Amino acid sequence: MITPRFDELIHAPTRLSLVAFLAATGWADFAVLRDSVGLSDSALSKQLTTLADAGYVEIRKAFVGKRPRTSARLTTDGRTAFDRHVLALQEIVAAAGGSVVRSSRPSGQS
Amino acid sequence: MHDPIDPADAARALSEIDRRREQVIRRKVFPGWWWWAYAVLMTAFSAAVESGRGVLTGIGIALFVVGALLIDVPVRRAARAAAPRRGLGARRALTGLATFVVGLLGVAVATGFSLKAAGVPHPGAIAGAVAGVLFAVVGPMLVRYEADLLMRRSASQG
Repeated sequence: MITPRFDELIHAPTRLSLVAFLAATGWADFAVLRDSVGLSDSALSKQLTTLADAGYVEIRKAFVGKRPRTSARLTTDGRTAFDRHVLALQEIVAAAGGSVVRSSRPSGQS
Repeated sequence: MHDPIDPADAARALSEIDRRREQVIRRKVFPGWWWWAYAVLMTAFSAAVESGRGVLTGIGIALFVVGALLIDVPVRRAARAAAPRRGLGARRALTGLATFVVGLLGVAVATGFSLKAAGVPHPGAIAGAVAGVLFAVVGPMLVRYEADLLMRRSASQG
């Protein structure tokens, strides 16, 4: 049973976009993340490092031929934190009278 | 206890989360040319097999296999770059695509035999071309339909 918990780290706009994208994927390439979320290389690196330091994201560096390829994915802790954050957001909306009908669901549900 | 943010901000955040999920589900993996490249390969393969000459059939099979492997490289790369998580129904989408391909084979075989019975020349090549065009036209529609289905499915379970 997941309990709601608002997560300040995830809620920052850029990180929310990043974590939401990662929550819908397994491993995601750095370039795909950068283009999808619309960040510069350095901004994405910074956000990924912040999330990795919190234990929410795992970063993998590999070589395809001679080219380095960086990928990232949510860790179990990251996914749990995201699911709890989504539930907290849903509760806030629901407590306001449910005037906004939401379809978002925690990533753990399928 | 006060909420850490106001409800409008929470609703905006939930919308953003939905938008990112949709972005992953609708991410383009199959380029437009991929469908038509397969249509050409299918037609050429059918014509080679229909020729009945061992050498031509062998070349046709080899070309089909090598061509398919080359054509699939960018698709495999794009799919690996950010594959939707299992829970989002990627397996269901692949099953739908596989069913479509099996259905196409059925159409090709039925068309080929019908044309042969009617005495039309080169029934195999024509059947291959028909299946190829169907693949190129219906395939992208099927992918869009699957994406719509996944979006509705994830939304309905909220």
